Amino acid sequence: MKKHTAIWVMLMLLITGFSSAVNAQTNKKANEDTEAWKYELEVAGTGVQGTYLLKVWSYSKKPNVAIEQAKKNAVHGVIFKGFAGDQGILGKPPLTTNSNLEQEKDQWFKEFFADGGKYMKFVSLTSDGAVAAEDRMKVGKQYKIGVLVSVNVALLRKDLEDAGIIKSLSAGF
Amino acid sequence: MKLQIMKITLLSLLILGAATLGFSQAKKPTLMVVPSDVWCNTNGYMQTYDDQGTKVKIPDYKRAFQENNDLLAVISKINGMMAERGFPLKNMESVIKTLESERAENAILTSKTGSGVSESPMDKLKKVAKADIIIQLTWDVLKTGPKKSVRFTLQGLDAYTDKEIATAGGTGNPSFSAETAVLLEEAVADKIDNFNVGLQRHFDDLFANGREIIIRIKKFDSWKNDLETEYGGKELNVIIEDWVRANTVKNRFSNSDATESMMLFEQVRIPLYDASGNATDARGFTRGLQKLLTAPPYSIANKLTVKGLGQAVIVLGEK
Repeated sequence: MKKHTAIWVMLMLLITGFSSAVNAQTNKKANEDTEAWKYELEVAGTGVQGTYLLKVWSYSKKPNVAIEQAKKNAVHGVIFKGFAGDQGILGKPPLTTNSNLEQEKDQWFKEFFADGGKYMKFVSLTSDGAVAAEDRMKVGKQYKIGVLVSVNVALLRKDLEDAGIIKSLSAGF
Repeated sequence: MKLQIMKITLLSLLILGAATLGFSQAKKPTLMVVPSDVWCNTNGYMQTYDDQGTKVKIPDYKRAFQENNDLLAVISKINGMMAERGFPLKNMESVIKTLESERAENAILTSKTGSGVSESPMDKLKKVAKADIIIQLTWDVLKTGPKKSVRFTLQGLDAYTDKEIATAGGTGNPSFSAETAVLLEEAVADKIDNFNVGLQRHFDDLFANGREIIIRIKKFDSWKNDLETEYGGKELNVIIEDWVRANTVKNRFSNSDATESMMLFEQVRIPLYDASGNATDARGFTRGLQKLLTAPPYSIANKLTVKGLGQAVIVLGEK
């Protein structure tokens, strides 16, 4: 009996360890995708003053990883990529005009975009993670998930300016 | 010992100079939101006067500010959003009020001996609401059946070079139910970031290539010489052009007009700081030329007038 229990415990530990390793691997892949700009931003409406309302399309084998990664992708995109406009709403250029910023401030951004990093402060899921049926697509072995997020761009810009990452409008005067 | 003291003094001066340069800030341009002529005309805020038989229409800003709630709300929203970006704007309505009260004060201000405040016709002409960069604002409400949308345009205009340095505009989403005020608020929130990107590009250019100004050279008709008069075998216009070339950033300027009685220099790029590290503008820069012309061998008396940070006029012949 004791032997059986020990085997069961070991098996459970093995499964838990394996699933954590798979999760870590999926998260790592999602982070790599973010750095490789493998996400799409789409304007979803005019946000309240100082915020952008966006739909972020992220890719992952696991839908929940894609949903979580959408927050990171949204902040990443607002800083480095910008997004195109849609009918009646203007597209926005990225917060930085320096095309090499992510390389120049590599270490700073690594910490900023780490899992649970400071980027979380500037973004929120507007639909509490609920994804509409038409925003969940299977592309090959991956899911392409569209999530609505709101980015507090005024606060994000202020934070980046205070940290000396981007220049403020009044810098030099 | 003496050599050592000299070395220490020189080093201290160098450090002091570098520190002054490091802390020195360029002269900050002022910005002001002004409703465009088109908006004033469309909404009936114009004054008409007879200019020797020709009817001339000019915007009546005072009445627009007193009567139009939407204008007040839009300007206030833009001012608020710009202040958040560390760039508070001049409020045109307040500027107009200040000018009026100053005019009234000047009219009654007398010294104990009964002297009034001296004011030349030029002083009077210059007493208008002005800023270095004008943000020209236009909007109109478009209607298709029951649907309403707002076409909104912001134009950043350099008051001296007349260049459009930033712009943002477009037509918002049509709505069945939203109030015009809400659509306008949405339009400002949507456009201001794009406008600021243009403004930032302009400031980056200013720091990289110097401030762009305009210099005009004129002559009083009482002066017997002109810009073609030769000094040491060189015409005066060439001497002036050589000075401008030598003192501009990367020798950038264009001499767009030149006759015997006037010269116009456009796209003149001047450094943001003078030789001693102090922030400079059109006046500080052109004072160098004024000094050159006043000193021998030219000894030309002249008058220097400026308009804000970016336009200077030197009139030769008299003070």
